Amino acid sequence: MEKKQSWDWNTDLKEIPVGEWKARFNWVEELNISPDGENIASVVNVDEAAFKICVNGHVGDTEYEKIWSLKSLPDNGFAAFVCADEEWTLIVNGQEWSSWFDFIWDLHITPDGKHMGFAFQKEGEYGMAIDGLPWNRVYSNMAGMTLSNTGTSAAVVQVVPMKAADVDGFKQGLFSVAVNGNTFHNTFLNIWDISFDRAGQNLAAGIRLDREAYTIVKNDVIWDRKFQGVWKPIFSNSGNVLAPVRDAGKWKLFMDNEPFWKKGYDQLWKITPSPANNDVATIVANHFGKWSVAVNDKVWKMTCDTMISDILYSDNGSCLVAVLKDKGLWNLAVNQTPWNLSADKVFTPCISPDGYLVAVVVEKKGKFHLVVNNKIIAGNYDLMTTPVFSPDQSKILIKGVEKGVYKRRVISI
Amino acid sequence: MGPMVWISALICIFGLLVKFILIIKEVYEKERYLLSYITVRHSLRSIIAWLIPFYPRSTRMRPVYYGISYLFHVLLFLLPVFLMSHIVLINESFNLSWPAMNDTAADILTIGVIFALVFFVLRRRFIPDVRFLTSFMDYILILMVLLPFVTGFLAYHQVILYKWIVIAHVLSGEVLLIVIPFSRFSHMITAPLTRAYTGSEFGNIRHARDW
Amino acid sequence: MSGNETISIEKSTDDAVENGLSRLTPQRVSHVINQVLHQETGARFKAYVDTCMRCGLCSDACSYFLSNDRDPSFSPAAKVKQTIWEMLAKKGKVSKDFLRRAVHIAHLECNVCRRCSMYCPFGIDIAYMMLLVRRICHKLEITPQYIQDTVNSHSVTMNQMWVKEDEWIDTLQWQEEDGREEFEDLRIPLDKQGVDIMYSVIAPEPKFQAGLIYQAAVIMHAAGMNWTMPASPGWDNSNMAMFTGDNEISGRIARTFFESAARLNVKRIVMGECGHAFRSTYDVGNRALSWAMPPFEVVHAIEFYHELLTAGRISIKKKFTKRVTLHDPCNVSRGRGLHNMARKIVNMTCSNFTEMTPNKEHNLCCGAGGGVVNCGPPYKKERMVNNRVKAEQLAATGAEVLIAPCHNCHSGLEDIIHHYKLNMEVKFLGDILFETMEKKIYRPEE
Repeated sequence: MEKKQSWDWNTDLKEIPVGEWKARFNWVEELNISPDGENIASVVNVDEAAFKICVNGHVGDTEYEKIWSLKSLPDNGFAAFVCADEEWTLIVNGQEWSSWFDFIWDLHITPDGKHMGFAFQKEGEYGMAIDGLPWNRVYSNMAGMTLSNTGTSAAVVQVVPMKAADVDGFKQGLFSVAVNGNTFHNTFLNIWDISFDRAGQNLAAGIRLDREAYTIVKNDVIWDRKFQGVWKPIFSNSGNVLAPVRDAGKWKLFMDNEPFWKKGYDQLWKITPSPANNDVATIVANHFGKWSVAVNDKVWKMTCDTMISDILYSDNGSCLVAVLKDKGLWNLAVNQTPWNLSADKVFTPCISPDGYLVAVVVEKKGKFHLVVNNKIIAGNYDLMTTPVFSPDQSKILIKGVEKGVYKRRVISI
Repeated sequence: MGPMVWISALICIFGLLVKFILIIKEVYEKERYLLSYITVRHSLRSIIAWLIPFYPRSTRMRPVYYGISYLFHVLLFLLPVFLMSHIVLINESFNLSWPAMNDTAADILTIGVIFALVFFVLRRRFIPDVRFLTSFMDYILILMVLLPFVTGFLAYHQVILYKWIVIAHVLSGEVLLIVIPFSRFSHMITAPLTRAYTGSEFGNIRHARDW
Repeated sequence: MSGNETISIEKSTDDAVENGLSRLTPQRVSHVINQVLHQETGARFKAYVDTCMRCGLCSDACSYFLSNDRDPSFSPAAKVKQTIWEMLAKKGKVSKDFLRRAVHIAHLECNVCRRCSMYCPFGIDIAYMMLLVRRICHKLEITPQYIQDTVNSHSVTMNQMWVKEDEWIDTLQWQEEDGREEFEDLRIPLDKQGVDIMYSVIAPEPKFQAGLIYQAAVIMHAAGMNWTMPASPGWDNSNMAMFTGDNEISGRIARTFFESAARLNVKRIVMGECGHAFRSTYDVGNRALSWAMPPFEVVHAIEFYHELLTAGRISIKKKFTKRVTLHDPCNVSRGRGLHNMARKIVNMTCSNFTEMTPNKEHNLCCGAGGGVVNCGPPYKKERMVNNRVKAEQLAATGAEVLIAPCHNCHSGLEDIIHHYKLNMEVKFLGDILFETMEKKIYRPEE
């Protein structure tokens, strides 16, 4: 996103008619818009079992039997899984990767767009392929694929075979973590939620050791303490492992095998360290069915009854936004204060680096609206994707479809 | 009337009260989530449905047992409260009084209660599934209820050993009162609670009837 | 047969139970029992134990009791007596033979259908007590083999049947292709963000009954719904851990499920015709996570079809003419009160409907639910014996087709129909709807 400066922040409106694509093709699938809003793409059907990708109305020559998982890339291009002669590969901006597989899925792209990876199955065996290269070792079973920001890949793999319904075999622990294809020494009953540090050097995961004992593993070293449950561990900015653990019937935040927060909660998950300082925020239920956010073990004054789906910090750590649902309707709360969105859906918020501006796309009664700091500034779109603030924060880029026309609008705020 | 009557009555009332408070306290401490589901409306809906004779399907399937059991529970409270000789005693102590039941009616109804208790015993002996569930304690509990009624009946008719029978009547009544909070007799307060919770889960969450 | 003795009957067992029992020490047994019964429960459990007057009114509720010629050991309260009461009386110091019997009672002689709590004057939730026994079995690692294997599968793959991630997506793409025979532009949109509906199924659908996904896709397409199915774990709404007392894995399954819906930004979740999955997502799994109610509206297929039919999004071309009867699955009738809606759908789609009795909340169980069928082949024979009353009830209707809007019920009913030679065909409501519907796309203006 460093390239945001070079985007066109001066043209108020650019339009691409997308409704007419429907007439050109048998059918048009989901629209996908590039971060800079200049490109809009969709998988289109051109003939029986013949698909192409249409970008800004243009389609290439190559047809595929199937195309799915079309995603926009940080460099404003597109990637998708394609199938030809019953074999699959990834195309990035129209270019095929050289390796083909029996099946591929779960596309991961690093935020800088430098690395890409996915899960593959070839002849009944499983692995990940990163930047065009498949793992050297493959496994009989794989789950929980993860890609670090620096391109390190990891997944939970089965290293010991198991006969059908062999519960005693399962008890021995059949699973390990494969990092770039190579496994840990330890095996476990279960491994979930692999988490990398920023540098992609260390990883942590939640594990189950036996029917009842849960704990955390960091780089193949198991925490001494055992718990009644664990959720996804996260590396703090200083490289410590934070994990929600269930201990004596309450959820608590632990760090490197030791209690970190004092309080126990009815629920605690989604650890979110501030990008700027040592603050740590989590989603908590202080009491049954009452959801809130805790920052450094202090609970926000507000609660909601349905769910908090996500919490996000601004780059400078001054603004913490919670995406929440209360009494069945979606809303945001910014630094403890709920907005009044009453939306059917709320999408991922966009927060300015200084934390002063929060923008979010909401859907009400089938129409999409853009809300900035709790005020609707654009509305009645049929579709809208996450907006972007200009580098000087004076403008906002809106990407939406209105009456069959894709509109890239830049408006001042 | 001696002080034991009042002591046992107080033990009964306070025992039940303390039990009730302890249950609520424990729910608050350990199972507070239950309170998210309980509503007054659905609790009452269920309790009332189960108080209407032969309304729940279950009660229609065993009409004899249910009918006898229903009357038995009603009489268990009505008889001691509206019995002339009890009212006289209370009047002597507190100068309070209320209309009494006709003595002959009371006499017949007492026989009814005794008959019901004998029926319960026979049921426990001869209905296989009930017999399977029955332990020695169940007979003791029946006996505890039976004694005050049998002795009361004998005392009223002054058949034998009147003085001793009256003492036995008073004592067995007191024992019954004292035992209530500490035995399954406390279902007089726990049953409305379990009914309220189940009624709320069925009515409030599952949108279904529970009768 | 009085007092505290338990009757010993030769019952089936399996390797997981036997190997598990052989590993147990008396200390571990009493520790686990006391921990579950005294620390994990509270006033509710105590009230249930203290309130039961041993009246036996619950007996008539139980299809096991009725099918076994009123054998007292099958009465719901008797199941508590043979497990919980004795564990309490002996302070957890129970024998391995006792535990073998307890596993059997809790896992194979109770469908946790909650019918008995409608027959108990005090509303005691005996299913809850049986689930406590199952929790004890889970902690002692003596859960029957096949259901434990489904829980193991859940814990690894977040689905019940070891369906691999590529197999799931591949199956959906294959059903989408097949569906194009019906509608040439039919799609099963995968991982489509911001749609109204996340459609979810149980793992046996992609594994064995992919045609049901095809049918659902045709219905969705014809009704013009804005929908998707997740392409990553969290698509399976089933939850066998809920039935083995593995509350931790049960919670993890439910979380993955609801977070799929959150990730896809959907408005609501529609699910196929499965009862226990509905119980998990609507009533149980969410509670394990501190969600008092499910964070997304969970719509069972019955409710959904009813909505499509009454809104005119699906119209019926020609009613189904064979004589049908309807089985009310416990988890959506007693568990959600959808029985009247189910009848409306049957009446809208079928011309010859015969009720079975008792019905609605008072339905007799299919004998398969509550994880019983999932205990697998070793127990099939007794499952047939244990549900004779259902066979009698079905036979009395004289129907040719039995509609059962629940997967578990399907399996159980098909087995007893075969065993008792009833010559009935079992169908889902979706099967009927698919057969009778107009295969045209809904346009609001029409």
